[in-house]
This record gives sequence, C-alpha cells and structure tokens, in this order.
Amino acid sequence: MAAKTKADTLARHQANTALKATLPPQIGRHDKDLSADGMISPLDERIIAAAADALETGQTHYVDVPGIAPLRAALADYLTSSHGAHYEAENIIVTAGVQESRFLSIQMIGAAYDSIGIPAVAHPGVQKALGVRARTVVALAADAKRGFLPSPAAIVDALENGCRLLYLESPSRLSGAAYTDEDLSIIRAALREHEAMAIWDQGLAPWVDGTFSSLASFEEAPSLAATIGEAWPGMGLASWFIGYIAAPADQIPAMQSQKQIMAICTSTAAQYAALEAANLFEDARAQRLAQLSRLRSDIIDAADALNLEVIAGDALNIVALRASEAAAAKLRSAGFDYADGASFGAPAVIRLSVNRSTTNALAALR
Amino acid sequence: MSKKKAEGTNLLYQLISEARAYDDVIVMGRGDPDFDTPAHIVAAAKNAMVNHHSDYTPPEGLLALREAIAERVKRVNNINVDPATEVVVTNGGQEALFLMVLAVLAPGDEMIVPEPNYNTYADSLAFAGGVKVEVQTYAEDDFRADPADVRAAISDRSRALLLVSPNNPAASVISPGDMKEMLGIAIEKDLMILADDIYDLFVYDDFEHLSPASLPGGKERTLTLNALSKAYSMTGWRLGWVVGPADLMARVRELKAAISGGASVISQHAGIAALTGPQDAVEMMAEAYRRRRRLVLDALDAMGIKYGLPQGGQFVFADISFTGMDSGDVAQRILTEQHVLAYPGSAFSKDRKDYLRMTFLQPEAQLIEGLERMKVAMRDIMAER
Repeated sequence: MAAKTKADTLARHQANTALKATLPPQIGRHDKDLSADGMISPLDERIIAAAADALETGQTHYVDVPGIAPLRAALADYLTSSHGAHYEAENIIVTAGVQESRFLSIQMIGAAYDSIGIPAVAHPGVQKALGVRARTVVALAADAKRGFLPSPAAIVDALENGCRLLYLESPSRLSGAAYTDEDLSIIRAALREHEAMAIWDQGLAPWVDGTFSSLASFEEAPSLAATIGEAWPGMGLASWFIGYIAAPADQIPAMQSQKQIMAICTSTAAQYAALEAANLFEDARAQRLAQLSRLRSDIIDAADALNLEVIAGDALNIVALRASEAAAAKLRSAGFDYADGASFGAPAVIRLSVNRSTTNALAALR
Repeated sequence: MSKKKAEGTNLLYQLISEARAYDDVIVMGRGDPDFDTPAHIVAAAKNAMVNHHSDYTPPEGLLALREAIAERVKRVNNINVDPATEVVVTNGGQEALFLMVLAVLAPGDEMIVPEPNYNTYADSLAFAGGVKVEVQTYAEDDFRADPADVRAAISDRSRALLLVSPNNPAASVISPGDMKEMLGIAIEKDLMILADDIYDLFVYDDFEHLSPASLPGGKERTLTLNALSKAYSMTGWRLGWVVGPADLMARVRELKAAISGGASVISQHAGIAALTGPQDAVEMMAEAYRRRRRLVLDALDAMGIKYGLPQGGQFVFADISFTGMDSGDVAQRILTEQHVLAYPGSAFSKDRKDYLRMTFLQPEAQLIEGLERMKVAMRDIMAER
C-alpha cells in the first residue's frame, strides 16, 4: 500500500482548512434551497438557438484561451455601458465561472505582490482560492454595520501599512451591501497614492436597483483594478459556469498563460450562449429586478415582524439576517437550506436567496 | 518582445497566433481533431439546454456522468471506481492534469517525468512548487522509458511518477511488462503515480495500452486522467475526469471546487451522451488516424526524416537534427514561409531542440499538402547550409 507518501499528502490536505471552505451551490438544488449564489432563471429560446447553432456549425473545437473575440468585446461593452468602465476587449479573459475568475486573479495577480488584503467577511470561494497556494493575507476588518464591507478607513490603513493588493467585493457576497461613490473616492485615492491595485468582484452588481458605484468606472481603472464577475447573471446560465476578468493589460499575460495551463479555454457552448445573453440582458434584468424588489420587500417585512435583524444590503437577490442557532436549526428542520455566514467569516448570520420560497422560510421561523 | 524569447507553452501560443493570420495554413501542431463532434452528442446538448440548463451540478460533476465514466474506465481500462467517491469531472484533460499535480505534489517534492513530455506537466508542477526530475528517452528506442532509468532517478524527495501512455509528444506506449515494472518500483519506493490515459483509444499495430491503476496494488496509489476531447472530438466542450482512490479523490474534489467550481452542465449532458451512446464515430475516427499515420510516416520516410515510431497518439515526433537548427526556428520558418504549423520539440523539453511534433489531425489531402510544403521548407533550409 502507498504508505508514507500518501499519508503525508492526506495529512497536508487535512490541515488545509482554507481549501475545505464550503462553497454555496451555484444554483438551488431543490425548492427550499435558499443557499445558492445564482438564481434559477428561464433560458431564452434565442440563447438556446444561438448555442445550438454554434455547435451544429462546428464550434466544437478549442477556441482562443482568453475567449472568443466577440464575447470579449461584448463583455468590454457591457462593462462600459453598465458601469462606465474603460476596459477594451483585449483586457478581458472569459472564464469558466466566477470561481475561476477568483482563482486566476488572486493567484496570478497575487504572485506579483507580497501580500493581499482580504475582507474578513468574503465569499468562501476566496478562502478556497487561497487554499490552493497560500499567500500572505492581510485581513480587512468588516462588520455588520457596513454590511460586512471593509470601511475605507480600514482599507487606507492596510495600504499605509504596506499592503499593495486588495480583494474587494461590492456588493458584498454575504449581505449585498455596496460601496458608495464617496467610499470609492477614498479607496481610489488611496490606491493611487500607494500605487496599489484591487481585484474588484462586482458579480452581484446587476441586482442593485438604482445607482451602483464601480471601481471600474474610474478612468484609471484599467491600470488599478481587475474586475471580476459572472457573465450576465439571471439569464439561465448559472450552471454553465461562465464568468470574466477585466484586468490591466500588463496583468493579462500571466492570467492567460495560467488559464491555458489549467483549462486551455472555456466551453464554446457556454461562450456562444453568453454572447446571445448579452443582447437580451438589459430587458431581462429590468423584469427580474421588479420581481426581486417585490419579493425582497415582503421578506424584510416578514423579518421585521419576527424581530429578525436584516443586515443592510443593496443587491436585491439576497438577504442576510442575524439568526440564532435555534432559528437556523428551525429553518433546517423545515427543510430549508441557507448559506451559513460562518463560511463567509460572519457567524450567526445567514444568507437567503430571494425567491418565492423565501417568505415560506421566514414563516417557518414563527 | 522578440519572438525567440518565448518558451514552452508561450512559444506554442505565439506560433498558433501567427498561424491564424494565414488563410491557407495547414495545422499539424495543435492536438485538436479536425472532425466535428458527432451529431448525436450535439443533439443531446441541445436537448439539455431545453430540459437541464438549470440543473445543479456539484463540483465533482453530475452523478449520471460519473457513473458513465466509471463504466467507461472499467470497460476500457479495467479500473474499478465508485462513481460516488472516486470520480471527479473536470474542465477537460488539462484541468484534470492540473488537479492531479496539485493533489499530490507540494513545494520541494519531486516528480519523475519521462522526457519528452507534455509541456503543461512542467507548468503545473512549477505552479505547485514541485521539482521535475527528468528521465530521458530516445528516438532510437522509440522513446521507451526504461524502468531502470526511472529507478535511478529516485531520491528521498521523490513523491510521484508520471506515466503518460501513449506519450505526448513522443507517441510511445508503455508496454505491459514495463508498466508492471514501473508500478513495482512505485510500490517499492512509495511513489504516487499520475497516469495520463488521454490517448488510450489510439494505439497502433500490436502495441497494447495498460493502465497502472488496473494492476494489483495500482489503484490505491494512482490518479488517472482522461477526457472526451481526443476520442470524441470534443475539445471545445472542456470535459474530462480524474479517477482514483476515494481518499485522494476527496482532495481532488476540493481542488476542483477551489479552482473552477464545476463543469458546464451542458457539456456534462453531452458527455453522458458521448459515453453511453453509439461508439461508431470513435471507431471511424480511430480508423482515419491509422490511415493518416501511415501516410505521414511514409512521407517522412521518403524525405529521409527519422522518428520514433508512433505506437499511439495522434502525432509523430520527428528528428530534424539534420537541419542543424533549433526546432523553434525550424517551426517558425515552416510556418512563416510555408504556412504549416508544427510544434517545436523545444516547447516540450529543453533537450528536444532537434524535434518537431506533427499531428495527423487533418484530412488526408491537407496532410499531403502540408507534408509537401514541409519538404520545400526543409529543402530551402538545407540549401542555405
């Protein structure tokens, strides 16, 4: 039997707690699953037609490592039109989902820096990405009052203490809270002053109703921010795993090379589907936002009636609540799954997807 | 940036990028079959878009696909795995390779690698902080990896042995006798085995493929990868797998979740159709590759170019030492002057500057034309000497 070598390998694995962080599912696994990162959405027949047509006409072979050219252009256009970003198609890498975006950006951009500032509360995928190859982490304090976003003061403090790379989520993947323009002005100025860089996860931005302030919107963003997220969420592609990185030109080669090493390219079917989704996204998003707004409002009313504290958030697709272990146990016993805040770094908080089942979940707490 | 500075994978991508600029390019470099994915697999994907687009898929893949993979590795490779705990679906063979290396090798650990070998192993090992210990093989031996050389390369830091059979780029197949001996060494020296079976359906003449995990004492120390890319012409779908013992596969699963979360659900449904549906397209493609291999070898013989006999795979590793030039320069000239893309051996191994890897993944007429153009390029090169 494989004695010591295998035992050593397994022991190393056992000790790697970051790698063992639990990821929320990409989509609900059953009717009462409120733990998912994405939402179950219908797939427009035009998306099916576009993907099928691509496959039937021979788009079944390797494509360019950073993605098919029209999709890269569409992503650059989307970031420009929706967030005032200044990326060009050449700044875009299409990824096999947002977790690959996290992994590539954290590992490959991170390789050029001594340390990386990570919010104390962040998506567990961040910990997992760090678990593959450890980096020196500077924890950015985050508390519930700010929706678990590190304060600009905490960020400035980290930069003044020598940290030159930040990983920031806005909206927060736990609460949905987003940075304001004022916050970003401070963060941007500090990044410039210290010649630092940020990896900026704005994957939940489409679910902010109203103004969303993006680090990508600053003129110098293409040199100080790598923006990541899901490609056109809510279009029925959550299980197809398609995401993006928009990064400074000098950061692209290392990530592209690593993407080649670990995957060669992203699924062609997913890329052609995403390309069509780009054309349909704005109309679909408007409809979805209206639905989410109504549902989330009902959920907050129900939470208030139960004296449950709702963590302030701007993204309409999730709601974070303070929940005692007893309340969480009640949800579980009623068959509901939720994303456990502990896996994000915030114990005693739960995150619920906003959908038609969520009010039923709260009813179970009565 | 000077073109000559590119090495390894970057060199290959530099050549691919240039090749795109030529309308009449003949690609004999990249391992991408010219056949499109069989129609019934595409139809299954379309059906999945209608009915399964929002299925949840765990990081290790849909159970139905893992069951199909378990059945396949039993049928083809005689490896018994539990689909619940011993299979992880990946974004192609490439991700499978990366996961296997990361699962087993830590910084400072050594992996024994018969050379030449697929360049991504070196890249992945570098990412993991591991150390490649090369065991050389030679064209005159048809690139046979000698178990005695493997044994001699082992140190107290050795943790794993890489066995790619058929080998890429050398196209050698590890004989059953050698495979048993390799496993014996791994057991004796307590090494893990990383087995790459991606070309297992493409073995020629009387050569025989044997998976180390199928042998007594093999499975518990072996991670084995494969993918649908080569056998089903599904390179763009990005679907592969790793199988191995449950305890190690738990680590592979965690790594898969950390790196990319999961594989596209539509590709997975296509994969189920590929593995459980009719296999005649695979047979047809394998037969085509047999014919093309013969055609390419005959042409090389006619040109007087030596090579290690390709016992498997979809390519030949040809000796171009007669040119007196670095293979990177030769590949560049062939591409620029004759619009034929072949891969330089130096991209696979720094010691293989005298070789070109030529795939036979083009229709026969294209291959004939490509070989004719290569002949012209070689003649021009020799005329300048």
